[in-house]
Amino acid sequence: MRSIRKISIQLIISISLILIFLGSSVYYYLSNYSYADFYKRLEARVSVAEKYHFESNQKDAQVLKNIRDEHLELLSDEKEYVLYCPNVNSLKQLADTNSLPINFLNLVNSQQFANFQKDDIFYHGIKRETPKGFYFIIVSAKNYYNTHHLILLKKVLFAGGFISILIIIYFTYLFSNNFFEPINKIITKVNSISTNNIHSRLDENKNTVEINRLTTTFNNLLNRIEIAIETNKNFISNASHEFGTPLTAIIGEADVALLKDRTQDEYKETLQKILTQSERLNKISQSLLSLAQIGYKDNKLNYEIIRTDELVMQANEIMNQLIPKNNIKIDFDLLPENPKKLKILGNKELILLAITNILTNACKYSSNKPVVVSLASTNNEIVMVFKDQGIGIPESELPFIFEPFYRASNTAAYDGYGIGLPLTQNIIKIHKGELIISSVLHKGVTIQVKLPVATL
Amino acid sequence: MVNKILIPIDFRVESLNTLKYCLEERKQEKSSVLLMYSAYSSDSITELLFYKPAKIIEALVSSNFNDAINIIKNTYESSLHSFGIELFHGLNRNAFLNFYEANEIDLVYLPKDYCLKPYKNGFDPIPLIKKSKVQFKEVAWTRDHDATNKDELNQLFK
Repeated sequence: MRSIRKISIQLIISISLILIFLGSSVYYYLSNYSYADFYKRLEARVSVAEKYHFESNQKDAQVLKNIRDEHLELLSDEKEYVLYCPNVNSLKQLADTNSLPINFLNLVNSQQFANFQKDDIFYHGIKRETPKGFYFIIVSAKNYYNTHHLILLKKVLFAGGFISILIIIYFTYLFSNNFFEPINKIITKVNSISTNNIHSRLDENKNTVEINRLTTTFNNLLNRIEIAIETNKNFISNASHEFGTPLTAIIGEADVALLKDRTQDEYKETLQKILTQSERLNKISQSLLSLAQIGYKDNKLNYEIIRTDELVMQANEIMNQLIPKNNIKIDFDLLPENPKKLKILGNKELILLAITNILTNACKYSSNKPVVVSLASTNNEIVMVFKDQGIGIPESELPFIFEPFYRASNTAAYDGYGIGLPLTQNIIKIHKGELIISSVLHKGVTIQVKLPVATL
Repeated sequence: MVNKILIPIDFRVESLNTLKYCLEERKQEKSSVLLMYSAYSSDSITELLFYKPAKIIEALVSSNFNDAINIIKNTYESSLHSFGIELFHGLNRNAFLNFYEANEIDLVYLPKDYCLKPYKNGFDPIPLIKKSKVQFKEVAWTRDHDATNKDELNQLFK
């Protein structure tokens, strides 16, 4: 709320300042102009008077008189003086008799002509020298325009400025409210979203692009949070299922064995089954542990420069031991000519584990159909592509496959417990690489692994 | 002598297979490659005034496409003499022959089964090239017909 008030106050102050500046400059320049203009008018009257009294014969005098009466409007309190001044010393007396300011007469005397203002009366005068002595020709008048029009202007400017500021305050208030309204809406809506109604989303406002971007950002964030919560739920249910299945088997076997006395062979068999299940449990907890460890201890690993083509060959040998019936084909067609571009900085065991994990999955879910491993290098990344022709992953389940214990819905027929892929993902992540999965259901999965080329 | 080869592309990774197989075939000799993208020229005066082919090409190159080109460059480093991308705006046989002569092309490689899928304002120049009676070779590769239509780097791999 505070920023609304802050913005509106700033806006009001700045606009008021602009208005005050505009009004006062209009007033200042107009009054300046009116003074100058008024002196010009007085000047014109003085020069007509001079011509009338000193430079004209009878006939011209009549014409000048006509011109003055017809064309020169009578100013308010206009007075015309033609004063004879025999010498400088009589100025004082002259001023007193005509009630003219003495300063003005001194000015005219020294400068030949002068403008003067006393109270609201304006004077213009010239000094004309004749053989007999000199004359002062003076016209004085009240500046009606100045006294009336400028006062009116002042009133108009004040009233107009005041009203405009009121209007501005009103509109600023309106606009700031309008501007913040969608944000308030978003705040209320986001506040109302909790874990119970995480699926609800903000309404997108098509009118304002910025607000729309904000809502989209929030919605995307909510999507990600929803997926995280969803996967968390999945993890718990999958993990308890994974741990639960062997435990149920163990309990069941033990229960049945204890129902009555058994022969030694039967006990042996039961114990053997219990052992198998316990081993499975152990394996799950071990791999879970390694998954957790790889997620954290990235600085404890010892990194070395490895050639990825050798790595792929080694992984292939391991696969030949693990799944002798595998059908892995290595495609080195796009291998770069420069071997430097095949080297990466990483932990050999971990990357080997990641590659064998991917290959095991590829062989397992395709029932040993051909799996093609390609290796190539851009200028800064090694690209490994694993293409299989297996059962694929349903597209709707792709976001979850990196979750521990998550198994796609079509994998029921295959043994596994959903740790290999998250483990691989973590390994690639700590090597600053990228794992991209794309899949077509029933046709196969393509996995791209990108690892940064080692800078030597 | 370095042969100059012209290959029409559509700025999708899959179309670079032509380049890959072409270079594979000519591994023993040096060749210079020019990729050609065909697009209708704009009819807006302002666009023509500020026409910059490099900018148009830059806008069309996706990061996957760029990676794919780098992979091919790295693979055929020694046999690839020079490499470039040009825009072709012509609409008829003569325009293409002009382009062909101006760039001193010796041979054209065309995809056999793949049909170019140009972006907006682009067109497929292959019928035009075939009609122009210039020397061309066709290359074929097995395509994942069921693969998604997305432009993915793995379309360059077998």
